[in-house]
Amino acid sequence: MSEVIKEPRNGCALHGALQTVQEIKGVVPVIHANAGCGVIHYLANKGTSGGNSSYSGLSIPGTAIQERHVIFGGASRLREQIKNTIKVVKGDLYVILNSCESAMVGDDVDAMTREIVEQGEPVLDTLVAGFNGGPYYGYEHVMADIFRTIDGVKPSEKKTDPYLVNILGIIPGKDPYWQGNLEEIKRILEGIGLKVNVFFGPYGGVRDLINAKNAALTINFSRWGELPARILEEWYEIPILQRPSLPLGTEQVLDLATAVAETIHIDEERIKSFFGNEEVYENDLLLRAREDLIEYDNSQTAVLVGDEEQVIRLGRFLNDFLGKEIKAVILTDALKTDEEHVTDNQELLKEITDSIYITSDQKKIEDIIRSEKPEVIFGSSLEKRIANRLEIPVVETSYPVFEKLILNKADAGIRGTISFMEEYITVVNQYEAEKRKQLLSYVKGEKGGKLWQEQSQKRSYSKKLTLVTQSQTKESLSARM
Amino acid sequence: MAEKIGKHIAIYGKGGIGKSTTTSNISAALAEAGYKVIQIGCDPKSDSTNTLRGNNYLPTVLDSLREGNKIHLEDISVKGFGGVLCIESGGPVPGVGCAGRGINASVSLLQELHLFEEFKPDFVLYDVLGDVVCGGFAVPIRDGITDRAYVVSSSDFMALYAANNLFKAINKYAPTGGAKLGGVIANSMKPGYHREIVEDFVEKTGTSIAGYVNRSIDVQQSELYGKTVIEAKPKSAQADIYRNLAKYIAGNEDLVVPNPLGAAELKEWARDWGDRIYDIENGVVSVAEAI
Repeated sequence: MSEVIKEPRNGCALHGALQTVQEIKGVVPVIHANAGCGVIHYLANKGTSGGNSSYSGLSIPGTAIQERHVIFGGASRLREQIKNTIKVVKGDLYVILNSCESAMVGDDVDAMTREIVEQGEPVLDTLVAGFNGGPYYGYEHVMADIFRTIDGVKPSEKKTDPYLVNILGIIPGKDPYWQGNLEEIKRILEGIGLKVNVFFGPYGGVRDLINAKNAALTINFSRWGELPARILEEWYEIPILQRPSLPLGTEQVLDLATAVAETIHIDEERIKSFFGNEEVYENDLLLRAREDLIEYDNSQTAVLVGDEEQVIRLGRFLNDFLGKEIKAVILTDALKTDEEHVTDNQELLKEITDSIYITSDQKKIEDIIRSEKPEVIFGSSLEKRIANRLEIPVVETSYPVFEKLILNKADAGIRGTISFMEEYITVVNQYEAEKRKQLLSYVKGEKGGKLWQEQSQKRSYSKKLTLVTQSQTKESLSARM
Repeated sequence: MAEKIGKHIAIYGKGGIGKSTTTSNISAALAEAGYKVIQIGCDPKSDSTNTLRGNNYLPTVLDSLREGNKIHLEDISVKGFGGVLCIESGGPVPGVGCAGRGINASVSLLQELHLFEEFKPDFVLYDVLGDVVCGGFAVPIRDGITDRAYVVSSSDFMALYAANNLFKAINKYAPTGGAKLGGVIANSMKPGYHREIVEDFVEKTGTSIAGYVNRSIDVQQSELYGKTVIEAKPKSAQADIYRNLAKYIAGNEDLVVPNPLGAAELKEWARDWGDRIYDIENGVVSVAEAI
């Protein structure tokens, strides 16, 4: 039986594929869909943290198919659109994204693509019908199709570079800090002597896609990169290092480096020197936050809401590094039954907490948070409503994040540890400050004023401020609300 | 929806079973009897009304839609034998696009053009492509476009299988205002056990036979001349068969919601008939005994 899902935070497969390819420099997406698909994607990203990249939303070429294209087939309309796009939009690679309509009608898009490729143009296509799945499906399948076909479109000799690694598993946009995180992982891996294909963002691009086959290792940081990683393994014999999440904190980063060193020879001295410096840097900065940590962080309990990768990354860090009690984790991306992926993080999640939930239904998420009574939430902007009701802060770590621009800030790696701590302490501090402000304004207000007077009749003025205790005022405040 | 003008009848059946021939002859017989008739071919092959209009060219509704120009009724319809207004929905070339969506768009367009208000028909016959393969082909029996459907079937298993599928569609849509079944038109009837197979099928599914149409050389000859039997051989016995069928359909108000057989049930039923036919063909039992 079907049920209502309140405020689902995940889009469709086309949405995921689109936000993936639009972040690869040099790629021009061409949407073979009705006009609304691209615009909805644009609007969904417009209101959230990272914004849209150059070829996105309103500027994405599309076939804007109409009823006659459904009835008679839209392949010739697509041919026209690809040819026109190549004429007016400069790109190194044109990726055709086929939508629900194209899938249902059965347009022979492959034939159209072959025709254009035979004319020497770099075009490839992928079928990501929205109804096939969520954005994770779109990410995996578009990347897998690119790896399958890029060599036919942009041929090059395979020349394995023993120090080159591919980074997969981080979906642009679905992790609000994806850009910064990729940069940080690249910085760390380069710091220990490797070269990195990040694919996305300013350091990525079509060149990375072409070079993917030359890598010595693919590091996949979530279950969602399994399919493209497997394609690279099957086609080009590139081994896969499957990690449950991006690392957070020096310890986890070192663990990653050790795991990579099992496949790729890395100079030990270089690792030591790199991590030595990083540790000094991290300790130096985090030391400055010790007073804040002592004042606000003790005995705080938390609930984590987000994609599995984010929940594991933050959960382990909060547990191990900050000694926080994780009352529950809510996975918004994982499927209740996932037979397509081999990744199984159950044990790891159980180490974080016994209460593991899988849902993207905001009603259920709010009910879980309400019953778990945490003192802080690590989640998305959608959790702000329940947080306001429970009078607790939300540290925004998962999609969607509204009213905040996040460009290259990280919450993974080593520098990401620092910015995560900055964000966490800032949010908690600001929240406490706001609460104090509210209490003070209440105490000085009409009703609070009476309380103030009553108290002052019984006690001396010098004791007044301390006697209007926080709990009394909080009680009155909640009664008023 | 505004009150329907005329009786709207959908005629379904497996491909090649004689739907168009039967529908055209019913239309011709109704026209001959003085009724105003529209026949709408809902098949991408767009050959439903060929014998009514002497195989003359008729642009299809969807051809006109593809051109994108403003469409007028006179561009997509032509009067054929007895003044039957012939319309072909048309569709994409085989293997391309979505014919089901085409039928949907075509029927909507005809309604937008006020076809029925303009022509004021007594009967509108929709000749619909083969099996009800997807939602698009169920359009004529859904949403109150027609209130009755007939299915043309021979005694062949696959034809009855297609009929059973139509029953499933009617069963699904009838409770929400879809068409009900008027009956089964038993086509290509030959001597022997053929009638009995169809009769047994209608009994099992709680339906009835609207009429029997025997296999006849008159039908084949008339079609080769590009005419209906009513027009080409008006005095033949076959023409009378169609006249009687038309008369029955015109007057029949006994509409039912069929009880389609389940997959296993249908298979079992067919197997049982297989055994009986084997016995008949090998002289184990007589036809009467087998039935």
